[in-house]
Amino acid sequence: MTAVHDLVPLNMAPVGQTAYVAHLMGQADDVHRLKELGLREGAMVEVVQSGTPCIIRLAGHKLCFRDCEECRVLVRLGASR
Amino acid sequence: MSVTSERRTVIVALIGNPNVGKSTLFNALSGVRQRVGNYPGVTVEKKIGRTSIHGRSFELIDLPGTYSLSPRSPDEMIAVDVLLGRRDDVGAPDAVLCIVDASNLQRNLYLVSQVLELGRPVVLALNMLDVALEKGHAIDVERLRRQLPVPVVEIQANRRRGLDQLRRVLNEAVDSPPPTVESPFPEAFQKELSDLRAFLTDDADSPPPRYLIERLLLDAGGYLDRAKLHEFQHDDLPAKLADARRRLAEAGSPVPAVEAMARYQWVGHVLQGVVSHDAERKITCTDRIDRVLTHKVWGTVVFLILMALMFQSVFYVAEPASFAIEWLNGRLAGLVDAVLAEGALHSLLINGVIGGVGGVLEFLPQIFTLFFFIAVLEDCGYMARAAYLMDKLMSRVGLSGKSFIPLLSSFACAIPGIMATRVIENPRDRLTTILVAPLMSCSARMPVYALLIAAFIPNMLLGVRVAIPSQWPLLPDTLPLGIGLQGLTLFAMYAIGVLAAVLVALTLKSTLLRGPTPPFVMELPTYKWPSPGGVLFRMFERGWAFVRRAGTLILAVAIVIWAATYYPRDPSKLDPALFERQAALETALSQSVAPEDDANRAALQAELDDVNTEIEGEFVRTSYLGRAGHFIEPAVRPLGWDWRIGCAVIASFPAREVVIATLGVIYKLGADEASEESETLRETLQDATWEGTDRPVFNIPVALSLMVFFSLCAQCAATLAVMKRETNSWRWPAFTFFYMTTLAYLGALTTYQIGIRLMS
Repeated sequence: MTAVHDLVPLNMAPVGQTAYVAHLMGQADDVHRLKELGLREGAMVEVVQSGTPCIIRLAGHKLCFRDCEECRVLVRLGASR
Repeated sequence: MSVTSERRTVIVALIGNPNVGKSTLFNALSGVRQRVGNYPGVTVEKKIGRTSIHGRSFELIDLPGTYSLSPRSPDEMIAVDVLLGRRDDVGAPDAVLCIVDASNLQRNLYLVSQVLELGRPVVLALNMLDVALEKGHAIDVERLRRQLPVPVVEIQANRRRGLDQLRRVLNEAVDSPPPTVESPFPEAFQKELSDLRAFLTDDADSPPPRYLIERLLLDAGGYLDRAKLHEFQHDDLPAKLADARRRLAEAGSPVPAVEAMARYQWVGHVLQGVVSHDAERKITCTDRIDRVLTHKVWGTVVFLILMALMFQSVFYVAEPASFAIEWLNGRLAGLVDAVLAEGALHSLLINGVIGGVGGVLEFLPQIFTLFFFIAVLEDCGYMARAAYLMDKLMSRVGLSGKSFIPLLSSFACAIPGIMATRVIENPRDRLTTILVAPLMSCSARMPVYALLIAAFIPNMLLGVRVAIPSQWPLLPDTLPLGIGLQGLTLFAMYAIGVLAAVLVALTLKSTLLRGPTPPFVMELPTYKWPSPGGVLFRMFERGWAFVRRAGTLILAVAIVIWAATYYPRDPSKLDPALFERQAALETALSQSVAPEDDANRAALQAELDDVNTEIEGEFVRTSYLGRAGHFIEPAVRPLGWDWRIGCAVIASFPAREVVIATLGVIYKLGADEASEESETLRETLQDATWEGTDRPVFNIPVALSLMVFFSLCAQCAATLAVMKRETNSWRWPAFTFFYMTTLAYLGALTTYQIGIRLMS
């Protein structure tokens, strides 16, 4: 189990580094929608461009993503490319 | 034709994720045989195409692109209802055609797993295998076929490959039984589902479909609960649901999380050994283009250049085309002139119908040009990048990048702009965008700006003119580089609208429409060459919606306004001397002057025309509208307007551009001569004086005040009507009319009062 302090919000992950979605925080409905889009626990993501909004690569597809105070995606950093 | 009569029309529903080529497939299968409508009460477009396969007629229902079949909004509910055959306006589908993107099977199969539970035959169209290959994914299609319980057909929708095979499989599928699929959900969930089903079936004559009960159990957001479906009207149901959800949470399958868990597990099984990735991810073309287009600096630069190019083209291209339509209007008016004698019908046709509707149609070329650009940018995938770039700005006023395209369309016309807000999922964001969309300076404001700027703003160029090589015949000899004072004024009018929209959006999002900001996720699709057919189709589709509106609502209101300007037309209220002069001149023309005396005839004719327009002006003055203008004069005086401008503003309630025609009539000029190009109208306005004095009505502050008023006012009945349709209530159009008119009045007041003090 990863300790919470190892996790970073997705939009703050370093550019070009592979990360794994560890935890989705927020309202059940918002979180469910993110999961339907493929942003679910265990999914591999890569931040292509950081910032708000950021651009991430998920399963080979690019998504524009902006989180909010009530809803955060926390990732565990993997090996850098 | 015996084959066709054997069976009724076969109905097939088409569903898929956004950006997987669903529309391309729909168009390829049904060609031009499609009709677009609306599902009553909601904003989902009802697109139905027809085709025939082996002599059998097929009806293809295009459902909106979606990532999931879980109803959380009225729009998503429609898709579920259509698929379950719960709607009366379209038949129950005999089969579901599900198109999936081979380069992102995992996410696409999530939707497939939901579709499989609907209890209908399903055909899978596997699209974009080429894209998958480019991205370095190898797909074992044979294996996928074995691991899926439904037929899989490889297609390439944009090249129209594999369509014959798809038709053949589809034709077979509609006669086959639905696939038997095991539920992907854990046992505990299935047991709750069965219990609920038994409970709901007990005393109901028509038990709800299993999929709907599943949705009800998973419905954490409470949408289905609020929708009050007749199947779920049961007093004990809420308690039963709460109990079931509590038990599921205890069993480690909380709703709605259990759904994503279960379905992705199923997807994992199906995809076992199907997809193999290259070790190194390939850098695709899209990646290279994105390095520039989403770059923080260069991306913004390209975006600004593209926007400038687009608006420039709209004005360059639109001018000759508008001229052609105007010419056509003139010819039509001439035709009416030739056939009909002067009178009420003649005036109705020329001033009401041709002047009102024809005046509106003049903007059609501009609207087509803008929609052409928007369609190209959307089709090639750039629009999502533009929305990404704009999200930073939009999120500051509480909106998201998704509001960008609707607002951009509103620069052509607010009507398609408001319709384009359907892509915004968050209802508060969507409503805010609808409410501020009419503040974008649409093409109907253009003639008002053009006329007043040409007449009153000095033509000074702050820059140089650049010569254009003569081998480019379509371009003018020189192009101005730099900015002119007139251009600057025009820009200022657009800027005022945008600024007002920002302020209004901010205010709305922090008061009436306050709420939590949901996370914003938007797909950035792979770039591709825009398909000419698709672009033209969309351009005409949107342009046609505008024409239809012009043909119905605008026509109706134009006639009402015409009547208010024409009647009571009581000659006894006019100065008799005018009629005496008219009669004398007519007699002189027909009798006393020799037919050869051209010079004399022309002079007399000109004088007669003057008298006629003066009579016309007097009639307008004493018309219902004229009286209304006099009535509101005290209110518009502080804006620097006289009663005639007041009249023109009232008359332009149905459509802003009517103001030109009304100003023309009212400042004693034949309405058919009144167009923004006519020097005479410009001169008339320059020469107009306050009644009984030599003081000119118009000066720079008055012109600016009138322009500011028109940039902010809600003078467009069609926009308000479409707003009513999209929000399903008269409350929001009424609110918009009130706030925009207030804003316009205050804006015009401030402009005039500051302007007049600066002048003196």
